[in-house]
Amino acid sequence: MQKVIFLKYGELSTKKDNRNFFLKVLHDNIEKTLKNDVNITYDYGRMFISTKEGNFDNVIGKLKNIFGIHEIVVAYKIIEKDLDNIKENIIKLLNNKDFKTFKVEVKRSDKSYPIDGMTLRKVLGAHILKNIPDKKVDVNNPEVIVNVEIRLKEVLIYFDNFKGLGGYPVSTLGKGILMLSGGIDSPVAGYLAIKRGVKIEAVYFESPPHTSEAALNKVKELAKKLALYNIDIKLHVINFTEIQEAIYKNIPHEYLITIMRRMFYRISAIIASRRGAKVIINGESIGQVASQTLTSMNVINEVVKIPVIRPVACFDKLEIIELAKKIDTYDISILPYEDCCTIFVPDHPVINPSKEKCQEYENLIDYDSLIYEAVKNERVITITSEDETFKDLL
Amino acid sequence: MIYLDYAATTPISLDALDTYARVSKEYIGSLFSNNGLGLKAKELLNNTTKEISNMFSIMENEIIYTSSGTEANNMALIGGALANHKKGKHIIVSKLEHPSIYVICDYLESIGFEISYVNNDKDGLIVFDDLKKIIREDTILVSISAVNYETGVRQPLKMLRQIIKKENPNTLFHSDLTEAIGKTTINFRDIDLGSVSAHKIYGPKGIGFLYKNSQIKITPLMYGDNKNNNGRPGMPALPLIVSMKDALKNAIKDLDKRERYVSLLNERIISKLEKIEGIKINKTKYSIPHILSISFSNIIAASLSNALSEHEVYVNTTNPNEISNGVMAIYNDLERSKSCMRISLSHLTTVLEINRFLEIFEVEYNKLKNLIGG
Repeated sequence: MQKVIFLKYGELSTKKDNRNFFLKVLHDNIEKTLKNDVNITYDYGRMFISTKEGNFDNVIGKLKNIFGIHEIVVAYKIIEKDLDNIKENIIKLLNNKDFKTFKVEVKRSDKSYPIDGMTLRKVLGAHILKNIPDKKVDVNNPEVIVNVEIRLKEVLIYFDNFKGLGGYPVSTLGKGILMLSGGIDSPVAGYLAIKRGVKIEAVYFESPPHTSEAALNKVKELAKKLALYNIDIKLHVINFTEIQEAIYKNIPHEYLITIMRRMFYRISAIIASRRGAKVIINGESIGQVASQTLTSMNVINEVVKIPVIRPVACFDKLEIIELAKKIDTYDISILPYEDCCTIFVPDHPVINPSKEKCQEYENLIDYDSLIYEAVKNERVITITSEDETFKDLL
Repeated sequence: MIYLDYAATTPISLDALDTYARVSKEYIGSLFSNNGLGLKAKELLNNTTKEISNMFSIMENEIIYTSSGTEANNMALIGGALANHKKGKHIIVSKLEHPSIYVICDYLESIGFEISYVNNDKDGLIVFDDLKKIIREDTILVSISAVNYETGVRQPLKMLRQIIKKENPNTLFHSDLTEAIGKTTINFRDIDLGSVSAHKIYGPKGIGFLYKNSQIKITPLMYGDNKNNNGRPGMPALPLIVSMKDALKNAIKDLDKRERYVSLLNERIISKLEKIEGIKINKTKYSIPHILSISFSNIIAASLSNALSEHEVYVNTTNPNEISNGVMAIYNDLERSKSCMRISLSHLTTVLEINRFLEIFEVEYNKLKNLIGG
């Protein structure tokens, strides 16, 4: 009898023609996350992971953060499929368990197996009642469900399962550029995009000296949290100071934010096209601030052709916060580092900006060459969920 | 690198570092064991404590080693308050304290103590009459830091003690000495309780001590085997303690000479910065030269600090959404307290460093100012 982990795919199994591709990506993602700790095999219905005894908790913990997995099951595999052997092993396993009520569930994917499912269920149930004292069958609300799967080459017996994250395996749907600020919303937006199989790369706009190195470090910490789901994450750091100062000096202050965001979009689109990303993702939420009114979104969005996905657009702030807490980014997001930027926040930003005015004002600065310079000087940092900064000390 | 944040922390001296390593390697015995190694370690601890007590003319049983100045502040205020709560529940602090003191006061208030704040004048000096007035029969403790960490204003501990004890001989007098040791002469007999930290005087981080007059009692905050450290349980950090001893010895040496030198640096900076429009110098006649605070009326100090960091010039600023308590207490001017920078100097600072600092400062300051003005 061998202890193994197997995974149920959930939504994936509906993908007919692409199924092989999805499974291969899921396999690769798991392999990258778990490294050399495990041995992975898979077929259309299940993915099996074996590891050494003592490493199960660690492996399960990591699997819980991988998208594309519906359920994680710890099972016992037996190769001898005859009934007596199944009976014997079930009793062996159940003897270690503390329970009063149970039921047996049988799945018989080996259609050539001599006993049918219904009979098997009755026989095994009776065998448990006979061999373990003081147990009762409860089909509605059992404390233990004894699952028996008769497969072609083996029989699986299992009791415990853990819910997986669901969603699609990361990068099965291609790549997206996440506009990552230090705030609460954008990491959540990133998480939701990853969930649907989008591999994200993040872009962060810094304005030293108006923003501090601490603010950048905060964004790196947020990216690290997302790397947990994204396998790893590339962070594009764009020095925005010159553009921001040019806007500040030349453009009426009520339009500062609108035009600043138009520049963010333009730069993100350039990075997307360079990196082969098909969408931009950001944390905009309808009506939350002046730059997120529908008019503002419209005026800001018009500068790019690439689709912009706003996963939290229709969430209430409290709903976003709840998710941020779940993915452990909330406590980082509320650290107060970005405040140096306050001089660039006007007292009364425009709520209903006009496209014509934006275009007119933007012509006051040579933004094409400023953007070119900014993109040329981008720094790209690859961040993994494991910290290597102080490797020589830790 | 030009380091001008010595009031926050100092680099450990090579002597102190060397001592730390040597004691760690050679004195491995437990202070609680009576074997040969343990006794050897205990002897070193006793001799070290003796040496420190000699430096400040205090007694060995008046030194309680702590992990930090903040811990010493906790011991003094909470321990002092709890030990005397039957005599009264009134505590007085100044408006020029380190934030750790105010956090402790919030806690004491939450458990039933009453906190009063004594006023200071336009030069930052505690107003003697005000102190006299607010001391009551049930005042059990007064805490006033010897040197304010933001503006460098120094208080006359001897005078303060006389006032306090005359009004109420039972009132304990605590002073946070963390910014004072090594920068000005301290007479421990002026106070009942005093907090000292090693990392502010070129010693290691993670060690300090509380001076506690042998005549007074404080309630311990932690419990355990405490016989080696006058009431604070746990194994005293011998390597850190001996290393701190080296730092202390060096810190009180040549105080006058070093102060005169640092004064010259301080004046050099002021003579340049005071001419710049939009900068106010937060200096009074009681400020020590090691700590220089300035306020900006037109730029954000934190931005300038970020810009200086790019040149590897390191200063200290108020956070963009906070104000400097020290500057506010002295000038009572919200605008002036908002955007402050602290430049703190050392006898290790060179004139060349200051010249270079001033050049970089001017360039970066003008960049930021032009942005706002333009």
